[in-house]
Amino acid sequence: MASKTAINTVDQAVISQGLIAAAREMGVKLVRSAYSPVVREANDCSAALLDRHGNVVAQAELIPMQLGPIGATFRPCADLFPTDTLVEGDFYINNDPFEGGQHLQDVFLFSPIFFDGILVGFGATVAHHLDLGGGAPGLNPDATDVHQEGIIFPPSKYNMDHDWHGGPLERLIRANIRVPDQTIGDFNAQFAANGIGGRRMQDLCARFGPDVVMRAMDELLDYSERRMRAAIAELPDGVYEGEDYLDDDGISDQPLLVKARVEIKGDSVIVDYAGTCDQVVSNVNCPYASTVAAGLSCVKSVLTSPDIPFNEGSKRPIEVRAPYGSILNPRRPAPVRARMLSAYRAYNAVMKALAPSAPEKVIAAGFDSTEIIVLSQLTPDGYKIYLEILGGGYGASAHGDGCDAVDSPLSNCSNVPVEAMDMEYDYFRVEDYSLVADSGGAGKYRGGLGFQRRYHILADNVTFATYSDRFRLAPEGLFGGADGVCASTQVLRGDQVIELPSKVSYPLQKGDILVARTGGGAGYGNVDERLEADVARDLAEGFIRRAEAAE
Amino acid sequence: MRVGVEVGGTFTDLVAIENGRVRVAKVPSVPARPDEGAMASLAAGGIDLTAVEDLVHGSTVATNAILERKGAPVALLTTRGFRDVLFLQRHNRTQIYDLFYKKPEPVLARRDILEIDERMSGQGVVVEALDEAATAARLAKFLGTGRFQSVAICLLNAYAEPKHERRLAAMVAAQFPDLTITCSADVTREFREYERTSTTTLAAYVQPVIDSYLRRFESQLREQKFAGRFSIMQSNGGRLPVAGMSRNAITSLFSGPAAGVMGAVRQAGLSGHGDLITLDMGGTSTDVCLVAGGKPNLSGETEVDGLPIRTPVLDIVTVGAGGGSICWRDDGGMLRVGPESAGADPGPACYGRGGTRPAITDAHMLRGTIRAEAFLGGKMNVNGAASSSVFKLLSEQFDLSLEQMADSAVRVADANIVGAIQLVSTERGRDPRDYVLVPFGGAGPLHAARVAEELGITTILVPPNAGVLSAYGLLASDFLQYETLTRRITLGEGAAEQVQTLFAELKARVTASFRDLGIQGELHYSHSLDMRFIGQAFEITVDIDGGELAGLDADGLLALFNEAHNRVFSFGESGLHRAEIVSFRLGASAPPDVVPALNEGIGDAVLRAAHKIFDQGEWRDCLLLSRAAIGAEASGIPGPALVEDGTSTIFVPQGWTATVDKQDNILLKSEA
Repeated sequence: MASKTAINTVDQAVISQGLIAAAREMGVKLVRSAYSPVVREANDCSAALLDRHGNVVAQAELIPMQLGPIGATFRPCADLFPTDTLVEGDFYINNDPFEGGQHLQDVFLFSPIFFDGILVGFGATVAHHLDLGGGAPGLNPDATDVHQEGIIFPPSKYNMDHDWHGGPLERLIRANIRVPDQTIGDFNAQFAANGIGGRRMQDLCARFGPDVVMRAMDELLDYSERRMRAAIAELPDGVYEGEDYLDDDGISDQPLLVKARVEIKGDSVIVDYAGTCDQVVSNVNCPYASTVAAGLSCVKSVLTSPDIPFNEGSKRPIEVRAPYGSILNPRRPAPVRARMLSAYRAYNAVMKALAPSAPEKVIAAGFDSTEIIVLSQLTPDGYKIYLEILGGGYGASAHGDGCDAVDSPLSNCSNVPVEAMDMEYDYFRVEDYSLVADSGGAGKYRGGLGFQRRYHILADNVTFATYSDRFRLAPEGLFGGADGVCASTQVLRGDQVIELPSKVSYPLQKGDILVARTGGGAGYGNVDERLEADVARDLAEGFIRRAEAAE
Repeated sequence: MRVGVEVGGTFTDLVAIENGRVRVAKVPSVPARPDEGAMASLAAGGIDLTAVEDLVHGSTVATNAILERKGAPVALLTTRGFRDVLFLQRHNRTQIYDLFYKKPEPVLARRDILEIDERMSGQGVVVEALDEAATAARLAKFLGTGRFQSVAICLLNAYAEPKHERRLAAMVAAQFPDLTITCSADVTREFREYERTSTTTLAAYVQPVIDSYLRRFESQLREQKFAGRFSIMQSNGGRLPVAGMSRNAITSLFSGPAAGVMGAVRQAGLSGHGDLITLDMGGTSTDVCLVAGGKPNLSGETEVDGLPIRTPVLDIVTVGAGGGSICWRDDGGMLRVGPESAGADPGPACYGRGGTRPAITDAHMLRGTIRAEAFLGGKMNVNGAASSSVFKLLSEQFDLSLEQMADSAVRVADANIVGAIQLVSTERGRDPRDYVLVPFGGAGPLHAARVAEELGITTILVPPNAGVLSAYGLLASDFLQYETLTRRITLGEGAAEQVQTLFAELKARVTASFRDLGIQGELHYSHSLDMRFIGQAFEITVDIDGGELAGLDADGLLALFNEAHNRVFSFGESGLHRAEIVSFRLGASAPPDVVPALNEGIGDAVLRAAHKIFDQGEWRDCLLLSRAAIGAEASGIPGPALVEDGTSTIFVPQGWTATVDKQDNILLKSEA
């Protein structure tokens, strides 16, 4: 095959695999050496290797939502502090949602990689930090601007020797956050993972020479682009439209519309979110970089083989537009903490748009929300914060039932084992962790089931904070399938049952039982076509109990 | 006489040792009835069972029971509120973009699970007592249906305090004496409920299968008047007398690859090498394992069919690169090798059994690195023309000549193996250049030198008779058992004393178990601690020298941990966090008697001829040799050379020299 770069087939394959393996190792080590449960148990982080221009060439596959933004967060840093001014020990930092970032909790760090004094690339990591200050521990659902959500690191350059290891930046962060030991520990894990990526890239440069490695990086971008384009070209050209709604903004009851227009033209795709509602006062605004990641993830999941390595090249065939000032591209200083909720509707709208032309490749809507549970307590020894990310049921497809009780598609967080909680936290205890029967929408294939966790509160002065969605508007069934069942949160206090909304902060007291129940996915196809054996199995297993399902 | 019998998927191998003499046999396996293959191998080896003192056996029975879902009908008793742990799993996906994702399927149904009213705290304090009267009635109803053959008991936080599990087990045993009972506390005592419940359930699932298999096997042995000791290989690289399997069947998973590593360790040890990376390359995959000081690295976790198992196993990484691995061009134009494999049937195209896609073995045919006339010692007919025809399309796609294409494919396969070795070495903080590469399996010695070059390894040791190394490993393995315990202890005052007390308890427990199993003589103990900085969730295993244990204080433990953490993660103590111990693991081992070298039937024919191979872009002249021909050259044979050694071929590239040592190991040394 004639290649525009003069690199041989074997070197290309070996260097590509080496870069991908290095990015994976960075991700594994970041998770394994981190301190906060949201990184170490839930894996809410990503790692990547970038070329010297800041293009992501290889990325650890941890969280789809962090696809794309790594490059977007890099560029403002390099514009302000050009890469040719960097020296050993420098790093870029950025978490500004209006400068390519996501929400403040996702802090991006970039460490330059030098080989024989030449800049060859960057090690990059992003981790969700448990607490970055702001108006409440872990999550401030009442924030009306981004400043109430925590500390902003605008695109900046610092140096490990001058500014970290007890230096001014580390001291500044430490003073502005609530659980500094965990947070600084997670930062250190990020820096170490960047260093590991750097060493692996230097090893490749030593074996193949830096010029060959850099050429291989260019070619790897082209490679992913070619594979994406080939997959897109298989779909008929056309313009497709889809829409979905968020329940509300947490303040009023008004549903929030997200609209997508998807244009497939040859081997490229334009996703345009024109017609989406305006930005809101609460934290469900989704920064543009997150919107791009949501659209991109949907197109990639639906159209392409899962083994196309994600990098900047795979983004090239896909353009994502969102009107400035809308909920999917808000103006500063909009609060953005719960951006995932709008990002999911952006994902759903694209999925619905693609459904008629690719019925075998899409899935029905699922719970498709990030439900955050924060239980915090201020003790004489400082803050204690428990934060967990809950998914629900996946939508069903032409190929089978939706997956039960799993993190939602744009994320991939693991649960915190109950035995780990029993070791760490003395102010609550999980007493039930189970599938919710009947929560998946019926169909030829049923939606995946949601699940519930019951937290028994063991102390007074515990604060519960949450955001979630699909409490009122159910995920819609596809091609005749039934809708999924909504999520709910209740506090059982004595004989009282207190129904809580999806986005709220609420004080709890000793003896309360908090029941968080996540939603199921929608069904696919008509239930009359469901195999009797599948119905019988679901009944025998207690996954469904409805009389109508047995008919 | 001592005999090892290893039942693999395709062949059943036997190695017998008598008076320092080694005898080997190889017969086809009988997948549906593995014991038949095993008995056939004894017959083929001409073994008189009345003369056998020691018989060691490894098989795929446990693994297959899980893969084929042919284990015993199993019930699970768990804490109220946690019936769905096996279905919820860890709430993540192993394929993040797969919209049709399915979780690994548990081996039991949801209706096979009974919730018990009780709760233990994470500190091992009773939160809710076990209501025995009510529970007894519910057990009678649930288990009285006769649906089950085996019962797994895994209660929340039982790793910290197992008394509720013990009481439940006693109640079940009293009411249903025929049921096999497995408590989590006897299988794994580490926290994280999904992994522990999965391990316990799988243990209960395979236990009756192993029990009945071994009973059947033993009765056949008795018919032939076998009166010696019968022991079983485990995935941790050691063996246990058959009685030990009555509560440890789960440890017999993956015993074949573990036995291969132990055979390599023993054979390399005879030549004085203890720091090794083993490379077992077969038809569909390659297994690699790092060995330090004669001890293979252990991992605390493994999985079968996606289901996690937490019990110490050899840290073996498998990559889909074998002789049958398919070479292909993906839709982005990248050359790929594996993971798809032509396997043994149809096999590579050159087998002439219908293989139509280019495989690595075909690539070797084209490069001249495998000669048709010497395939499997000349015992199998292969067809080089078929290899050419299946490589034609691929080579056109890449605009390369046939042999350039074949050479490229072999180098990509090498890179895949290099990646696997980096996983067990550099990623674990070990420098591969400090290790000797030990290749075996049909294709290992052919790829070893180029793999070594990529990693900077300068010494390769190729054992003789590498085709039966697993069966040999059975005989070479120690009696070995581990006891593990989760107990969090912050490193500080009094910590060292607690460590010593707990290790002493574990030592007493495992020693008593060994004596119960009739293992006499001196025992060796290994000690390790899983440690982390407080706040982290994953632990690093820190090996503690038994001799230094008594003299270690908390600072000494911290220093050991810090060093290990730094090695793996490239950062250590920052002054922010104190360190803690999470789990304890104590191993007891008893070595078998002296095991002679595996040098039987290696042949003394001297072949020396001129040959051509295509290597790194060009045709090169090389020497074609038999093993005996190397021995004839005191100064060794310089590469490029191809050594045909029974069932495998050793490639000695330019810049390497091959010699044979006194133990009949072939050593390759790089001039680099």
